[in-house]
Amino acid sequence: MTLMKTFRRLAAASAIALTISGAAQAAEEVTIGFTGPLSGGAALYGENTLEGLKMAAKDINDAGGFKVDGETYTINLVSLDDKYSPSQAAVNGKRLVQQYKSPVIFTPHSGGTFALQAFNERDGFIVMSYTSVPAVTAKGNKLTVKIPPNFTDYIEPFSKITMERFGKKLAVANATHDYAKYWTKEFVPAWEKLGGEVVSNNAMDYNKSADFYTGVSKALSANPDVMFIGGASEPTGLVARQARELGFKGGFILMDQAKIDEVAKVSGGIESLEGSVGVVPLADYDTKGATQFVEKYKKDHKNVATSETAYNYFALHLIAQAMQEAGSVDDAAKIRAAIPAALNKLPGEFNPYDVHEISAQGDLNADPQIAEVKDGKVVLHRMSELKK
Amino acid sequence: MDLFFQQVLNGLTLGSIYGLVALGLTLVYGILHVPNFAHGALYMVGAYISYFVMVDMGLNYWVAMIAAAGVVALISVLCERLIFHPLRHAPPIHDKIAAIGVMLFLEAVVQMHWGADFRRMPTPYTSILHFGDITLPAQRLLIIVAAFSLMGLLHLYLKKTMTGSTIVAMAQNREGAFLVGINANRVAMMTFAIAGGLAAVAASLFAPINLVYPAMGHLLLTKAFVIIILGGMGSIPGAIIGALIIGFAEALGGFYISGTYKDLIAFALLVFILSVKPTGLFTKGVR
Repeated sequence: MTLMKTFRRLAAASAIALTISGAAQAAEEVTIGFTGPLSGGAALYGENTLEGLKMAAKDINDAGGFKVDGETYTINLVSLDDKYSPSQAAVNGKRLVQQYKSPVIFTPHSGGTFALQAFNERDGFIVMSYTSVPAVTAKGNKLTVKIPPNFTDYIEPFSKITMERFGKKLAVANATHDYAKYWTKEFVPAWEKLGGEVVSNNAMDYNKSADFYTGVSKALSANPDVMFIGGASEPTGLVARQARELGFKGGFILMDQAKIDEVAKVSGGIESLEGSVGVVPLADYDTKGATQFVEKYKKDHKNVATSETAYNYFALHLIAQAMQEAGSVDDAAKIRAAIPAALNKLPGEFNPYDVHEISAQGDLNADPQIAEVKDGKVVLHRMSELKK
Repeated sequence: MDLFFQQVLNGLTLGSIYGLVALGLTLVYGILHVPNFAHGALYMVGAYISYFVMVDMGLNYWVAMIAAAGVVALISVLCERLIFHPLRHAPPIHDKIAAIGVMLFLEAVVQMHWGADFRRMPTPYTSILHFGDITLPAQRLLIIVAAFSLMGLLHLYLKKTMTGSTIVAMAQNREGAFLVGINANRVAMMTFAIAGGLAAVAASLFAPINLVYPAMGHLLLTKAFVIIILGGMGSIPGAIIGALIIGFAEALGGFYISGTYKDLIAFALLVFILSVKPTGLFTKGVR
């Protein structure tokens, strides 16, 4: 009786095993890796970036996959949580390469990117880095692609707009994490070069402060015309709100991590951000691809689409296109070399930001837009126009 | 001078919130004899319940606060009954592990249900009072007044009522309390309920000037730990004074010394006080 049972179980188990392996043979899969913060304070940001990848993978798989060399491939997205920690990102990266044979790994932070760059050329995978820190591509890593524009591109136009409107005295009151420090380091000399003066330099830990009244009142005691603030959108909104409560009448320069529309939700409406400059919220972007993406996002989501979702959505479509151009799903160098050709062929609906070229170093370039809050409305400027 | 008073007000606001959270932590310490790591998560759940009642159900702010206090007190009592009570004969490390488990569980449940996004809770008190150059939004005034009245009430309750005295007795000497016939189960449940309720009220008071998100309890919990170590584990006046010390250190230190190092100032103060008085400010030989 027990023997019979064992046999039956064995038969069932082998039947299941056969079906699984059979299914795997029918459609080839290419595994795309992701390591980013999926828990802890940056969980929302990590999930937003991952959501873009998920949407692109769904697009591709629903269309029946893509053809490389006569074989049809679908995308298998494997996401691992690194809690924003570079060392955990490196561990995840190793796992994605060794266990899942992933030829491409996405990561939404500079720390993770640097950690993966320690072994990506040797292990043969592309790092798709969603960070606007220029250093990730400046080091000459051949298999790194930086998805968003360099943050340094924003500095001059941001400074000029606010300096002309409000005055030359600047208070620095942004966050203290690495990315914010990069910004301050580049921003302060640029502001001074344009003839401005930094009257107060009082960065605050946006993630570990229970309250910003102290820091903001310190920044305001120097009577600045413009405040440079920013970290994650919501704490930035709190800082802006408290600055207004404490009587600040000037303009804000928002570090690009903060999105004007999300900041406004916390700070008390767009009127409270009068005179602010920042990056353009995706919903206000006036390219065709952006409008299509926002519509598409609305169908399955309750909240509003963010730029990190849109950029990562674009980036995975780009990789799939590049694999087709390269005729390979596992040779990272070939895939990287095929990206310029893939950019030309990628349909506009997958490219919300009109990214049009990739530099030899691996920077994807677009013509970003800049938002200014004027008379309670968001006004758009094109970077290329401001530079003239 | 105005700037100085502005910082004093900031320090008071912070100190009041820290105080309410630290009081709960110190009360429960009297029962568990280990810090309750889940206390920050209870605070966070309190904020979410208020948010839910106020924003999603559209009820009054005060109703939301009372509902949050009730729900969190209940969760806190359930934790005691289902988790800490069965562990009462186990080594203290088991309590610690269980508390961390409760914390992770509550955070995961909240994140699953509400997601990881930052939420903003509105307040009915949006006016901003000005005294010369000093700015005091009504909500901040409310925090200070409400927190100190609650602390006062708690003090009266513990000192003047019989049930209150049993809590103090349990915290001071467990065996002694049993000997005089105190019902340990009842006292433990009551203590957990009060601690949970205080955390939820603190969260409902603070949420309108801050943000509501699943990890919001971590920061408060670390501060509350520092405070009860500073004030002396299990000491009620210690928790209040400790909270004010940390609140003022952050506000004044952050303003006059350095905003970047304001936490450092608070911790340096902790090191200094502990090296002068290693058991904390107000310990009276309680474990």
